[in-house]
Amino acid sequence: MDNAGSKGGRMKKLKVLPLSLRERKRYVEFQVISEEGEEFTYADLEACIWNVLLDFLGEYGVSKTSFRLIKDLWDEKNQIGIIKCNNRSVQAVVASLGLISRLGDNKITFKILNISGTIKSIKEKRKEIKKR
Amino acid sequence: MEFYDFHVHSTFSEGKSTLLEIAQRAKLLGFSGICIVNYFSQFEDIEKLKKEVETVRKDVGIEIFIGFEAKNHYELNKLRRLRKSYDVLLVRGGSLNLNRKAVETPEVDILAHPEFGRKDPGLNHVMVKLAAKNDVAIEINFREILVSSKASRQRILHNMATNVMLCKKYGAKVIITSGAFSHWEMRDPKILVCMGCLIGLELSESKNSLSKIPLSIIKKIEERRSKKWIMPGVKVVE
Repeated sequence: MDNAGSKGGRMKKLKVLPLSLRERKRYVEFQVISEEGEEFTYADLEACIWNVLLDFLGEYGVSKTSFRLIKDLWDEKNQIGIIKCNNRSVQAVVASLGLISRLGDNKITFKILNISGTIKSIKEKRKEIKKR
Repeated sequence: MEFYDFHVHSTFSEGKSTLLEIAQRAKLLGFSGICIVNYFSQFEDIEKLKKEVETVRKDVGIEIFIGFEAKNHYELNKLRRLRKSYDVLLVRGGSLNLNRKAVETPEVDILAHPEFGRKDPGLNHVMVKLAAKNDVAIEINFREILVSSKASRQRILHNMATNVMLCKKYGAKVIITSGAFSHWEMRDPKILVCMGCLIGLELSESKNSLSKIPLSIIKKIEERRSKKWIMPGVKVVE
């Protein structure tokens, strides 16, 4: 077994890839605009985005995007979230978001706030916008 | 960068949202201007529309242009003669004869969804060359992709990609619009830019199709508004 030799029975972690071999990532910050300011949970949104991505790009297409909706950064009050994907598939992921017009019985639309290479820079940009 | 959406329907034509709702949503999404598209049958109400556009423009603070969409040859000929009384002339594509007529007419600004309801792209190399010569922009209508699914969506995307390839080859203008019938169908300009990239445009070309090309149409609108303009290529020189 892979984790047979690990201490305390914990899964042995892989050695981290060198920087040059790592995938370049992009973070897409978005806001969900809904009818009458409806508030959606992370689970609702994740299921909805996955459905559209699989529908539009297909299983093979999604596998190329390294898509992930970051749970810790979902702001339910302001309906702002961050998607992580690789730099080659930003356009496919963002275009797919445009194909979402409903979440349950509610009409929704997405506003793309920022696209950046790090979460830190997204947070800085958000602070700058708030200051204005 | 200033982005424009040049194909939105309001309650004046067959849309479901009011002018105010559309303008507010466009501002929220980051558009600098929109074009409200109507049909020839609503031409009698143009003065009423102009008044409402002016009110909304002041209230929301966004550029609003008035466009008319011709559905057939008769409407196109009528709208050509009334060219000075409105801003943008669109032609509803789909029929081969009307597509051909639209690209041959210099008064036309946009040929909307030439592949609409067709199995083929609705354009060929000859028509695209004419579009480039007469400065007619070929539209990529996002609503067509939005409301279709599965096999029909793939066919529409394929046809749009063919049209984009032809436009790039012969230097014809490509314009991306939402084609929205309601403010809920309007999309963020970044989403439209990304869809343009998926269809075959380069990122800069895709941005231009929402910014530079609408601006070139706005320049033509301003020229037309001046008293010196008579018809395309003819103006009073002092």
